[in-house]
Amino acid sequence: MATADVAVVGAGLAGLTAAIRLAEAGARVHVLAAGHATTHWAPGGIDLGALPDSRTSQEAIDRLAMVPGHPYGVLAAELPAALAWLRAVLAREGFELEGAPGDPLRAIPTAIGATRLAALLPAGMAGALPAWAPDETLVVCGPAGFRDFWPEAIAGALRRPSSWRGQTPPGRIEAVSVELPGLAGRRNLSSLDLARLFDDPAWRRAALEGIARAVAARSRAPGRVALPAILGLNDHPAALAAAREILPLLPFEVALAPPSVPGLRLYAVLRGALRRHGGRLQVGEAVHGTIDAAGRVAELRAPAAAREFVLSAGAVVLATGGIAGGGIVADGPATLREEVLGLPVDGPPAGNWLSDDALSPAGHPLETAGIRTDRHLRPVAPAGSTADGRPIAENVRVAGSLLAGQRYLRERCGDGVALASGVLAARKLAGVAR
Amino acid sequence: MTIADIVAQASAPGQPRSVGLSADECLKCNVCTTACPVARVTDLFPGPKYSGPQAQRFRLGSELAPGSGRLSVVPSPDRSVDYCSGCGFCTTACPADVKIAEMNNRARGALRSGRRPRLRDWLLGQTDLTGRLGGLTEPLANWGLHNRLVRVLIDRILRIDRRAPLPRFARRSFRSRLGRHWRGRWSANAPAPATSVVYFHGCAANYYEPEVGQAAIDVLERNGFTVIVPPQVCCGLPLISNGLYAPARGRARSNIAVLAGYARAGYRIVGTSTSCTHTLKAEYREMLDIDDADARMVAEATWDICELLVDLHAQGRLDTRFGALDRTLPYHAPCQLRSHGIGLPALDLFELVPGLRAIDLDHDCCGIAGTYGLKSEKYEIAMAVGKPLFERIRAGGAEQVACDSETCRWQIAAATGARLRHPVELLAEAYDAYLAAEP
Repeated sequence: MATADVAVVGAGLAGLTAAIRLAEAGARVHVLAAGHATTHWAPGGIDLGALPDSRTSQEAIDRLAMVPGHPYGVLAAELPAALAWLRAVLAREGFELEGAPGDPLRAIPTAIGATRLAALLPAGMAGALPAWAPDETLVVCGPAGFRDFWPEAIAGALRRPSSWRGQTPPGRIEAVSVELPGLAGRRNLSSLDLARLFDDPAWRRAALEGIARAVAARSRAPGRVALPAILGLNDHPAALAAAREILPLLPFEVALAPPSVPGLRLYAVLRGALRRHGGRLQVGEAVHGTIDAAGRVAELRAPAAAREFVLSAGAVVLATGGIAGGGIVADGPATLREEVLGLPVDGPPAGNWLSDDALSPAGHPLETAGIRTDRHLRPVAPAGSTADGRPIAENVRVAGSLLAGQRYLRERCGDGVALASGVLAARKLAGVAR
Repeated sequence: MTIADIVAQASAPGQPRSVGLSADECLKCNVCTTACPVARVTDLFPGPKYSGPQAQRFRLGSELAPGSGRLSVVPSPDRSVDYCSGCGFCTTACPADVKIAEMNNRARGALRSGRRPRLRDWLLGQTDLTGRLGGLTEPLANWGLHNRLVRVLIDRILRIDRRAPLPRFARRSFRSRLGRHWRGRWSANAPAPATSVVYFHGCAANYYEPEVGQAAIDVLERNGFTVIVPPQVCCGLPLISNGLYAPARGRARSNIAVLAGYARAGYRIVGTSTSCTHTLKAEYREMLDIDDADARMVAEATWDICELLVDLHAQGRLDTRFGALDRTLPYHAPCQLRSHGIGLPALDLFELVPGLRAIDLDHDCCGIAGTYGLKSEKYEIAMAVGKPLFERIRAGGAEQVACDSETCRWQIAAATGARLRHPVELLAEAYDAYLAAEP
């Protein structure tokens, strides 16, 4: 049996934020996660909120905070401090987040030639944030033979004015593919392979010089270059600096299909911060626990080789994600189950789980399924029960997309809720000693 | 029989969850590829997703329950799965619970089944045989295995890389040094189970590092246990990783025959090699399909030594009178330890030793992966996999590094020049330091 002051279940943004904050405060923290996921899948920005008709993230946050039962009702006030904290953690490793919640949401090109709304991006992607001037050229540039980024297809889709969500598009959009050094004979290149190549100073200089020539042949300033998000994995700040120095136009990275290189960079920074403060991280664990008669969770268990792994902890942060992250699963045709503690799930009634339109603007019905909590992020008894609204697990805090009442994808509030709830959960548990 | 029949049959209620059919859960998200240390450094291995769940579609017939008739299928679309080192990080990273490493391991076995094994792979699988021979011919064997000319010849003939880290045979085996320890099979005369443990030393402690076995005995005796060292053979893991499942099953059956007697009588079985203990715990069942009551009993009774000591500590039963070891100690957690799913118990124990500042090196794999990095065609891949780890150790400048697994210790020692130690050796040293400091 292992012991910790606080057990955190889930290693996404919410779980790692809670874990690092607790470890910073001196708690012995042990993170258990089923696997890697959200950080490795997410496009790499920090989405705080974006509604179809909101001008800024702040406007979306303020409106969502007014929606009854939305996590931002409690968490919006936490967000500024949580964001400042994340910026500081990233800055220590040379990473910068550009933009602010009050900035206008901008249409950012993606690898399928659509755009997504964003206001807060890592420095490598932030070149897409300023409004496009009518005389600017966007050059979409990718390595020849890289299957996850097709410049011609992306540029073709972006040339449709409707792709830009009513915002001014660049005056001209060009596409160019570039043979990168030494890759002619290589097949099956992934974003990871390319990002690792950009970690090598000599290779990246040669590659960037080739890109610079190809871009210069297509366009003159003013303009910007969209590159796939492959500018370095372990040494991104240096790779980005080199790209800015060598390329004739301002470069920005475009999010790709998973695995997400910007997400991996974020994960590496957070994992390093956790380790530095003495926290433990154990991946590959299908964790479960029970609430005892006193309304506490005393230990978590996970199947291990031959026996269960048992972690005894003074408190638990549950940050396992919603239906998309695996924290909630559909158990048979009518039951939604919370995976770790079997907490009551607040979600659409059976029969209303599916919609006829896979891409409905309202989002997926099951996206709202989650765990209802009190203001201290403790899970509460289900609506309609005699104990309605009263906490059912004293030493448990719920964080991130597992929280009920949000549409973390549709409202683009997933990262903001994760950060703010991670910080709040850690504060609520500060001083927990086993 | 159609594919649908196979799936229906294998996923029928009561069937254990099939390794091969877990491919059905794959989302194709590539998280496993981000976690693969081998795909990171070479194009020869296309990554766990391609070799695992993706190629699994071609191998479905090998997943049929025994006796149900097998489809004749190609074992794998190509031979690239041979470059999988078996470290297991893909399985732990997978958010969808796909048994990727296990799938690839079976595919490697299938690639080789029905063929005569390469002499090299056969030899590397026989660690108990080579250990016994080496011990008999020591010091000649040690001279030969560390002589440049001999190594060049071995490289040419056998394809064991001349630069690969081979251990030195001990002059006297661990077993031959044992004192009055109970060494037989279980009988009613054996020391009582509540105050004794059964020690599975494996090949490494027996033939190469008897000091690790001695440290284990010292630490266990210090905590009031009588240590039983029953007859045992190699756990079989080197055979499994070289695709030689049939002889591995023979080893497994011999060990189970002896250990099950103890397990049934309530003894705990403890090992100092995270590879051997993981094999006893999981691979007999998952890889070799030995899933009878005896095998399960042995699996459930088996403990890694640090896991056992942490458990004793949680119950307030660990003697924590450690003397000071004033040093910074980088620690590498081996891949096999992570497959146990028990966290990093050595770090918990190091926290109990005054003055000892352990640092988790937090690198996935040292590269050696058992016998993988010894092979001529894989040596450079293995060194590239471990390179960031070696650089971190060299930059830190520590004289000693701790690691729970023997082949990792040999690899890291050869690559960095540091002295590699099993965590239990440090604990034994700390107990000695306490005694020495006592007035």
